[in-house]
Amino acid sequence: MKTVVIVGVGALGSHLALLVRNLDAQLVLVDFDRVEQKNVLSQFHTRMGVGRNKAQALAQALQGMFGLKVETVPHRLTADNTDAVLGKADVVVDCLDNGASRRLVQEWVRAHEVACLHGALSADGQYGRAVWDELFHIDNEDVQGAPTCEGGEHLPFIAQVAAQMAFALQQHLEHDRKRSWDLFPGGANPL
Amino acid sequence: MINRDEALVNITWRGQNGDLPDPVAYDAPAQRVLAWVAEAIRTGGVPGVAADSRVDLRDFVVERYAATGNRAVNRIVVRPKTPFGAL
Repeated sequence: MKTVVIVGVGALGSHLALLVRNLDAQLVLVDFDRVEQKNVLSQFHTRMGVGRNKAQALAQALQGMFGLKVETVPHRLTADNTDAVLGKADVVVDCLDNGASRRLVQEWVRAHEVACLHGALSADGQYGRAVWDELFHIDNEDVQGAPTCEGGEHLPFIAQVAAQMAFALQQHLEHDRKRSWDLFPGGANPL
Repeated sequence: MINRDEALVNITWRGQNGDLPDPVAYDAPAQRVLAWVAEAIRTGGVPGVAADSRVDLRDFVVERYAATGNRAVNRIVVRPKTPFGAL
């Protein structure tokens, strides 16, 4: 069984974990952050998880709802722990929210020749990407901590991007294909 | 008909997506591409994207994808920045 490490389980990562739960893979969820009340609007986190670590809250929810056992890493990804966090991954899925952390992931997967699927959203929640690393260019946020598409009105599009990522991951695990897409509300373009 | 040194340009603006009707030079400078796209959106020249006189692409990204076995022609993608995934 392959190991899929999802780094960041907020808007995209939490929904992705939900959608890939039937794949023949061991999931590892990585996130240092805690669930806030506002996250419940746009992320697959519930009121029961508010105040808890996102990776652990999601793991408990997946076990409670589906009997799915996943591993968790409730820590921030840093240059010092990248080997330990990503070391056993057959596939890394980057659902991070900042350029610096994405660069850590990209440098590691390229150095170790590990497949990596990136998920990304624009701040206005009108554009997204589900792109394998070979085609992925990292964008920096203009201002650190800038507002994001965290309002509940973006949930359908977040789910659309997460679903496309889940499909890309399934295609890779089952057919060894790497397909990438640009996404906009209601549509997608292959890259 | 698109020559080898040309590319189709795809744009996403405010959640709407479309291609410029005509190809451009694949190696055209990014600022030129952004100017052409902005003008096309301003005048309603991108099928699928409603005309918008307030179009502003200053923070947009220009990405280039060369033709491959899976991609029949060169493509240039003009898109918003996408720093987020988790928050």
